[in-house]
Amino acid sequence: MKNIETVLKKIFRLAGRVQCEVMAERRDSALTRFADNVISQNVASSALNFSVRLLDGGRSAKLAFNQTDDASLKRAVSAGLEVLKRQKKDPDLLPLAKPRALPAGKNLYDRATAELAPAFRAEKAAELARACRKAGQVSCGTVDNGASELVIANSLGLFARYRSTSVTHSVTVTDRDGSGWAEQTSHDVKDIDFARLNETARAKAAASRKPRDSKPGKYTVVLEPQAAADLLTYVNAYSFGGQFYNEGRSFVCGRLGKRVLSPLLTLEDDYLGAAPGMPFDFEGQPRARVTLVENGVLKNIVHDRKTAKKAKTVSTGHALPQPSYFGPLALNLSVKPGKGSLEDLVKGTERGILVTQFHYTNLLKAQTMEMTGMTRNGTFMIEDGKISYPIKNMRFTQSMVEAFANIEAVGSEAELLAGWGSISCPPMRLAGFNFSSATKF
Amino acid sequence: MFKLATKAIEVANKHRVDFGDIRIVEERNQSLAVKSGEISSLVDETTLGYGIRVLYQGAWGFASGREMTERAVAETALKAIAIAKASRLLMHGKVRLAPEPAYQDFWQTPFLKDPFAVPVQAKLDMLFALDKVLRADKRIKVSESEMVFMREHQWHMTTEGSRIEQVLLNTGGCVTATAVQNGESQLRGYPCSHGGQTLGGGWEIIEAMDLPAHADRVREEAIALLKAPVCPAGVKDLIISGNQMALQIHESVGHASELDRVLGYEESYAGSSFATTEKLGKFRYGSPIVNLVADATLPGGLATAGYDDDAVKAQRWHIVKDGILSGYMTNREFCGRIGMERSWGSCRADGYSNIPITRICNLSLMPGKSSTEELIAGIKDGVMMENNTSWSIDQKRLNFQFGCEIGWEIKNGKKGRMIKNPRYQGITPEFWGSCDAIAGPQEWRLWGVANCGKGQPGQRAMMCHGSSPARFRKVKVGVHG
Repeated sequence: MKNIETVLKKIFRLAGRVQCEVMAERRDSALTRFADNVISQNVASSALNFSVRLLDGGRSAKLAFNQTDDASLKRAVSAGLEVLKRQKKDPDLLPLAKPRALPAGKNLYDRATAELAPAFRAEKAAELARACRKAGQVSCGTVDNGASELVIANSLGLFARYRSTSVTHSVTVTDRDGSGWAEQTSHDVKDIDFARLNETARAKAAASRKPRDSKPGKYTVVLEPQAAADLLTYVNAYSFGGQFYNEGRSFVCGRLGKRVLSPLLTLEDDYLGAAPGMPFDFEGQPRARVTLVENGVLKNIVHDRKTAKKAKTVSTGHALPQPSYFGPLALNLSVKPGKGSLEDLVKGTERGILVTQFHYTNLLKAQTMEMTGMTRNGTFMIEDGKISYPIKNMRFTQSMVEAFANIEAVGSEAELLAGWGSISCPPMRLAGFNFSSATKF
Repeated sequence: MFKLATKAIEVANKHRVDFGDIRIVEERNQSLAVKSGEISSLVDETTLGYGIRVLYQGAWGFASGREMTERAVAETALKAIAIAKASRLLMHGKVRLAPEPAYQDFWQTPFLKDPFAVPVQAKLDMLFALDKVLRADKRIKVSESEMVFMREHQWHMTTEGSRIEQVLLNTGGCVTATAVQNGESQLRGYPCSHGGQTLGGGWEIIEAMDLPAHADRVREEAIALLKAPVCPAGVKDLIISGNQMALQIHESVGHASELDRVLGYEESYAGSSFATTEKLGKFRYGSPIVNLVADATLPGGLATAGYDDDAVKAQRWHIVKDGILSGYMTNREFCGRIGMERSWGSCRADGYSNIPITRICNLSLMPGKSSTEELIAGIKDGVMMENNTSWSIDQKRLNFQFGCEIGWEIKNGKKGRMIKNPRYQGITPEFWGSCDAIAGPQEWRLWGVANCGKGQPGQRAMMCHGSSPARFRKVKVGVHG
């Protein structure tokens, strides 16, 4: 931290009278990857990166570097100032953000998590591998941990700092032609239930052996939390950001205040909520709690300072690092839980498909949020309220606006999942979900 | 830099590692973009650091750092050794690397004009001029003009005695226009969208693209697509052109032939592959006219270099020969599993902070003898599609769906009206098996993929895919939700 502040002072001094914004990120991370019941990669990295935006009378330049000795700093900032001088003025360029009072946010830093040793990660991988070998299964996955510190500061006096830790145990188990998956992420290693995750993935792999063919078509689907999150994170990214909205490329355009989605769906962004995070955005502005969808009614979109100005409103504190190609983005999503467990959702399904997760999802058409992707790691036919047999993976081609208008039930047990940011998401049951083709396994 | 690198080799040797290497990497990336009349990117990024890899008693360890002192390098090497010791807890047998001679060499991407020497303002002037042309119609709601320049200077030293210095230079650019009207949006790009076309070389690549000559057409086609009919659904003959062939090769052959995936080492993230090792030399991947060649020596390729990050010299080899699976993308660790005594050399790392992993090399569909006109003339009821907009494939690389920017109907041997939202689906070996004609060398072009993601932690790699337009029979097209 002291080192970052020292570098900041030097950068501001080198920038002189020119407005200057600095983002500094220190990240120490380690990851143990295993496959075929052995450790296949075991890595650690330590990085400290600076990015500097220089602004002067409608001109701007951005530079990024990771060497902070005096000569490197002088060379980098001087080159940026030179670019600035020779540039034409951009009348739409916003000046730097003024300092604002920032909330503290939740403490998401845990020292023990930051300092997990390679031996700890190896032992966690070994616990799973031993069980898999005994059962004739194959384990793959990762145990990773890390700590990061982010500082955003500018020459107008804005200073924002946040540090956090993360740990994730991700498990994929294959059992001949079956496969299962489970994952948990947290800021605190004490939250990770390694044994439960291992058992979930192993049981699912065993249960998904000998999958049968099924015909493409429209099915009721029960989406486990990860599967529902795979879709909702896309809906969020391409629909509820101010830039897509301003450009007329979001399905939300012209529909704010209208019930377009299921009354069972409430989606909000809250850094203090079930998917907590940084209390400020990458312009150093405080994040507001924003309800995106309330009981199916499209309520709000998120803004950075630039999209807010165009929309004649104020920033909600959702900027990505500037200038941003993508525009603002909600990073702390939570879906309001409903009633009943995943098993209850299955019980209420006469005929349908249970999806563990989706793979290689992609957007086809923004205005309807038409998407495609494959099921993965455990896909099952449901008949008469029971999981009857595993099926081969299917490809969906489906409008998400239509899919999330057709929610039949939302479960009560939300899971915290990594996405673009993070999302807390319960399981859901959707009617009339279109599978366009099947694959061979 | 080699003096600093020597410190890591000394530490590795002192601890009697089986193998150790250090890659010091200095990267400079400059990206400029003008979006709808405003600068959306003007970034100049420089990073310098090193990654140290050790194989200790048959187990891997890797650590990276950015402090350029001998003390920091030594500490990072010790960290890598400590990690390797932890890896020994879970191993079947010792990892052994395929032998490779030691090299002392320098290699550089050939180029004519250093793109970093071209003034930023000249680049911005060009992008703003393009943007103005793209936005000349009010129906264009988003216009984007982009350029990117990347230089990677590597110093690679191994305990085996290799001492390799390489300077890789890549340049890219594009223009795209998005027309929006009545709740419909359509994107058109040149040479392609999704970050555009990137190739190995300098400023001459931007000049050769001649972006100003295409901006008017891009705008007008984006607008025309708004009113074009939707791609009809059905089973039809298909001609693929533009960078869509690159994506088809990349997803259904490139990733499928990465040997680490084939052996299950990527299962937890991007998946595995149907192209398993018992199929090598026997499996019919495509029709007899399908030849797919990996080539790290290809002029202009993004994966072209003197050596890979395993310190293996660049090579050229078949992945599919006369329709039969004939090779894989390999590294020195896994090539022995298919009886290879030497890696084909397709192991690369993203920057200084990542461990080298098996990546797709430049992989190209060899040209045939037809022309696009002849491909069209041989179709009674079909569709022609150009330039990728969306991609998705299952985790064994079998079932895929692609979406393209633009399409045209083909009826009775003639190219007909423009169609929008063209998409197609298929199963990899059946699809390549239906390829019955490929246009000739005169239409063969190299396409860059500059954003290939793989691995945990995630790594980016770049490679090229060369192709001419090709014809496929009885393909499921016009898939809509």
